[in-house]
Amino acid sequence: MATQSSVPPIATETFSAESLTKRPRIGEALIQVFLFSCGIISIFTTIGIVIVLAEEAIKFFALPQVTLLEYFTGTKWQPAIGYFGVLPLVLATIMISGIGMVVALPIGLLTAIYLSEYASPRARNILKPLLEVLAGIPTVVYGYFALQFMTPVLRSIFGVQQVQIFNVASAGIVVGILIIPLVTSLSEDALSAVPRSLREAAYALGGTKWETARQIVLPAGLSGVTAAFVVAISRAVGETMIVAIAAGSGPRNFEIGKDSLFGFIFNPFVAGETMTGHMVRISGGDLSYNSVEYLSIFSIGLLLFVMTLILNLIARRIVTKYREVYE
Amino acid sequence: MSDESTTYIAPEPKFGYPAGPKLDQQIKARHRRGQFWYVLLGASLIVSILALIALLYTIVNDAFGLAAVEYKNDPTRLVVEQQEKVMLADRDTVSSEDDRELAAGIMNDPYAIGFFGYAYYQQSSDNLTLLAVDGITPDAGNVEDGTYPLARPLFLYSDARVLENNQAANVFINYYLTHVNEEISDVGYFPLSAGRISQAQQTWKQANALDLPAGQWAAINPDGVGGSLSIAGSSTVYPLTQRMLERIKADGFVGDTSDESVGSTAGYRAFCVDGAADIAAGSRPMNQNEFASCRKIGRLPLEFAVGTDALAIVVSAQNDFLTAVTADELRLIFTTAQKWSDVNPNWPDQPIKRFIPGTDSGTLDFFVETVFPIALDELPQPTLVSILADNVSPGLGRRMESEQRFFADQLVFFSQEQWAEACDGATPYAGCTLPPRAKDSVLQLLNENVTEPNIVAVWKLVPSLLNRAAIEQEALEKYPAASLQFTSWVSTAFLRSPQSSTPELAGVRTAVLGSLWVVAFTALVSFPLGVGAAIYLEEYATDNRLNRLIQTNISNLAGVPSIIYGMLGLAVFVRALEVITSGTAFGAVAAGATANGRTILSASLTLALLILPIIIISGQEALRSVPNSLRQGGMALGATQWQTIWSHVLPSALPGILTGTILSISRALGETAPLVVVGASTFITTDPTGPFAKFTTLPVQIYQWTSRPQPEFQNLAAAAIVVLLILLLSLNATAVLLRNRYARRAA
Amino acid sequence: MTLNSYAQNKHLAVEADKMSVYYGGFRAVKEVSLQIPQKAITALIGPSGCGKSTVLRSFNRMNDLVPTARVEGAIHYHGNNIYAPNVDPVEIRRRIGMVFQKPNPFSKSIYENVAWGARINGYKGNMDELVEASLRQAALWDEVKDKLAESGFSLSGGQQQRLCIARTIAVKPEIILMDEPTSALDPVATLKIEDLIQELKENYTIIIVTHNMQQAARASDFTAFFNMDADRAGYLVEFNETNEIFTNPKHELTEQYITGRFG
Ligand SMILES: Nc1ncnc2c1ncn2[C@@H]1O[C@H](COP(=O)(O)OP(=O)(O)O)[C@@H](O)[C@H]1O
Ligand SMILES: [Mg+2]
Repeated sequence: MATQSSVPPIATETFSAESLTKRPRIGEALIQVFLFSCGIISIFTTIGIVIVLAEEAIKFFALPQVTLLEYFTGTKWQPAIGYFGVLPLVLATIMISGIGMVVALPIGLLTAIYLSEYASPRARNILKPLLEVLAGIPTVVYGYFALQFMTPVLRSIFGVQQVQIFNVASAGIVVGILIIPLVTSLSEDALSAVPRSLREAAYALGGTKWETARQIVLPAGLSGVTAAFVVAISRAVGETMIVAIAAGSGPRNFEIGKDSLFGFIFNPFVAGETMTGHMVRISGGDLSYNSVEYLSIFSIGLLLFVMTLILNLIARRIVTKYREVYE
Repeated sequence: MSDESTTYIAPEPKFGYPAGPKLDQQIKARHRRGQFWYVLLGASLIVSILALIALLYTIVNDAFGLAAVEYKNDPTRLVVEQQEKVMLADRDTVSSEDDRELAAGIMNDPYAIGFFGYAYYQQSSDNLTLLAVDGITPDAGNVEDGTYPLARPLFLYSDARVLENNQAANVFINYYLTHVNEEISDVGYFPLSAGRISQAQQTWKQANALDLPAGQWAAINPDGVGGSLSIAGSSTVYPLTQRMLERIKADGFVGDTSDESVGSTAGYRAFCVDGAADIAAGSRPMNQNEFASCRKIGRLPLEFAVGTDALAIVVSAQNDFLTAVTADELRLIFTTAQKWSDVNPNWPDQPIKRFIPGTDSGTLDFFVETVFPIALDELPQPTLVSILADNVSPGLGRRMESEQRFFADQLVFFSQEQWAEACDGATPYAGCTLPPRAKDSVLQLLNENVTEPNIVAVWKLVPSLLNRAAIEQEALEKYPAASLQFTSWVSTAFLRSPQSSTPELAGVRTAVLGSLWVVAFTALVSFPLGVGAAIYLEEYATDNRLNRLIQTNISNLAGVPSIIYGMLGLAVFVRALEVITSGTAFGAVAAGATANGRTILSASLTLALLILPIIIISGQEALRSVPNSLRQGGMALGATQWQTIWSHVLPSALPGILTGTILSISRALGETAPLVVVGASTFITTDPTGPFAKFTTLPVQIYQWTSRPQPEFQNLAAAAIVVLLILLLSLNATAVLLRNRYARRAA
Repeated sequence: MTLNSYAQNKHLAVEADKMSVYYGGFRAVKEVSLQIPQKAITALIGPSGCGKSTVLRSFNRMNDLVPTARVEGAIHYHGNNIYAPNVDPVEIRRRIGMVFQKPNPFSKSIYENVAWGARINGYKGNMDELVEASLRQAALWDEVKDKLAESGFSLSGGQQQRLCIARTIAVKPEIILMDEPTSALDPVATLKIEDLIQELKENYTIIIVTHNMQQAARASDFTAFFNMDADRAGYLVEFNETNEIFTNPKHELTEQYITGRFG
């Protein structure tokens, strides 16, 4: 067959066997190395945090005036005159996180149930961005809110005599408000992940909406909800600006037996500096390297890091271990 | 089964289960329980919404509101004095306290112009032409209702105690209020309406504790009344008072009277400070400072309006080119213009001859206040500089000029020789090399050194709006020397001014610039690293131990409290890497010398580490949402993996990546604690100059202001929060726009 | 026995009357009229997407859970339209239970899976007995009696499905809807369920959607055949005793379908 085609013949010589062998691509390799280093930076960050905190904390505990026993059992934190008991700071942190949880857990969880089980798609489209707004407000603004709004409100309810200007309660409540969106969105994710078939089964047995939500969906999403709570606690423990502004700037040193338990030591209306609040205040001033104060905040930082890390690991573990596997 | 609507129920009862009416009840109870919880769910949602509302309310309530401000030097007064000085300094200007002299001067010169009280115009109206201002020629109607721009009220002031003790003064005011409208037109002013006269009469009746019905007047016959009476004040009111004195004496008044034409200000001083005058006459209302002085000597001024004056702008009857002027033309005519043609090319090329009253009469003040802008920041820079020069000591002035010059081509406090000598010397002034000051800087110097405002009390927005009267009362009692101003703490001045220890002068300029620098560098560092890590994890990483560790580690890092990052930054970037972060390694010593590693660079690196996990995680999500077919398509064309990622995967993941990045940058923008730890400066007033400069940021600034005990700083904090939230909002809006655009393209 | 004679002797359990179902603007089911006899097994067959599940779910108002779904026409149940505005869907579902395509046990113990529905519905008798009886009826008792406290997820797929059936019969419904209950199971498990369904017929009306022609032929008393029209709206082609449908279909489409020529 004679073809009159003007198409040029295929240049067969470019397909020599040689060209099919693997060629080193320097550019590609370099890029991969760069990308890998980007990924590995996060490991270095973690290592950096651990080394920095541990190094300075070890220096701190090596100081002659500091003992580990006093650190964890002492009830006074006054580095200037040689008291190094971290308990007052830890106690304030726990109280504020506790109050925050009391506010955030029920509200956050109920809101999550509302959003995942009750809200129409339209209501959800309005409400979720609103919660995002709440979550996007910087914490320093919440601190201002605690001092300028929550404290006056508490004082007008419980009396100016009872409630100090700087107090644990208003900081705790506002920390709670701050983490509501976090609790809500994590819990809602957990609830929404419960398959629809489970709800249908409950309805088919004659369950009402609330019975289904409370007794079927919530238990099914419980691991996610619990993890959300733990993450929220970790967030509350690490929260800084609200407590730095509103909770008071001085550790609530106490003496067991001498100070009244609920009138002072656990009184939410009295000022009490937290671990984070103390760290910000001390580092905001003039801080000379290797001074006792400088080293002491690293010891507190290490403690804080360990606490939040443990909480985050617990949360992760709950999620991976107890998650029900739905097809 | 009581309910008709539920009769479909299956007839056969089921063993063990409620049936019939019991079943109905059981189901109803369950629904009720559900409804109770439903309400609770809604309520919990409302708590969040209420919290958001309360938060915004608190901020707005503090960012705006009334403030009582005391000035060391009243800015209005400064401006008026300055303008007057400029007007009087002109050599073609004749100034006299004697209005007759002014009238005579204008009459004979076709190129003369001047102004004085309407009364004097009337006396020579044949030889003068009255000009319309902004199209309005003064007459009784437009003068009293204030449409004629150059009209002003005339007042007498006295005090209830004075009137009680001084019969002559009491009777004279009574007589004044009875007969002033019979004389005033003849003197050359405009009579008050009956309503306003009777208002003044009401004041007199109250001072005399006369309980007469409104509108009823108790004229006193002055025949035989005697005593001594001293009046001082406005030269404008003077002729009217003279006329009233003549008339009362004709009616048998036998008192000993003195009436001095010293100007309103001097008259009020005589009444309020010295207490020498029994009655003060004025052509402007008493201001708050004068009120306050009066109160100090136990006098509570009573105000009696007696008439209205209008300033007459006049030219000679021989003038053939002017019948009307505008306010703008007036400003030119009485200040910079030399010739008539400078103002309007149609007017003759002849020098302007100006005739104006002297500084003691209220007339000049009134003219300046009405015709010229009197807010300091509306004045041109040269005027501001001359106000400054008039009000600070030469030593202070020289210091300001040595820091930064006022003009490029002219010296204010130095002589040319002194300046040249200093600049050629061993330690030249900063001002030798810096460009001249901007207007803002001059304004700031004026505020700090001359007007020196001092806020003595602040009120929140809601009471300011709802209880204004009570607040005014309170301010008058507690802070008599202060003026009450509605203040928006967020203002252009607030945005333009640097940090200051005086709350009324403080602004967020350095903080905003600091935030922008820090955030820009943070983005510069974290974006490529974060996206790189995301690409590695999504596109390259195989499922091995190391990569799983990286992935787990990233999500753990996202949960580390931000203050811990601050400690990392402090120990690593500020301390260990000081030579790099302070810039000394690069020879950038000038900026870094005092920063000690506590620089914008350190802050940015710290924040970059902080937001890296968030960028990586959102980047991974964006990459994961790119369909695999795209990758396969690219590979099938013989592209390498990186070529495929670069030209196919990344572009379609980019909007998602950018959205995540912007959101994490807004997190960085609001971050406070790590920056405090890394060592944000507590007080800097100069703009950051680069990565090695000391810095403060907006949130840090808010934190510092919030921690101050004085209430004004809370207002500043609120204002700064407004600025911060607006910045964040615009960032987030960008993210939303990106997301929507992405969604549209994907659809 | 013809359908009519059967219907005359036995009562109807539930009846669809010119029912159409819409998802948003899309009409998924068009004017279906169907009389389901009591205490018998009725199979719904037809090509995929013709609306079998939709029809089935209409019988206990399961479609209420789909926000876009809307039902026109009526479903009569003991003389009442279950779509009348004053009818409470919770009461309907309590009486008309459902078993789903994929086994969906609750994330609770085996015991609680069975007891939950009884508890919320106010069961007053002995719960242990009810659980045992239900599990026995579902032919699961022997396999789980030693591990009642374990999670329902610990069971195999077939056991899970029988657990779901046990859970449904524990609340003693009148009708049980089954949507392809064996399609996710292996043949051995399927056989057990099929046997179970036969036993349940003694006490319950069963409506079952099935894909499997043999299952329909073997295990049902009546069969309804559905098809789609050009608008993809499902409609009822033919309803009759199963024997009739499979041996003597009135409709050409039915014949084509059961002989596997389409669908
Ligand atoms: N929740 C829903 N939303 C919208 N359309 C649906 C929904 N469920 C089913 N459909 C549609 O209704 C039609 C019938 O579906 P279905 O009843 O599931 O069919 P079958 O069970 O016969 O396969 C199909 O076209 C399907 O796409
Ligand atoms: Mg189906």
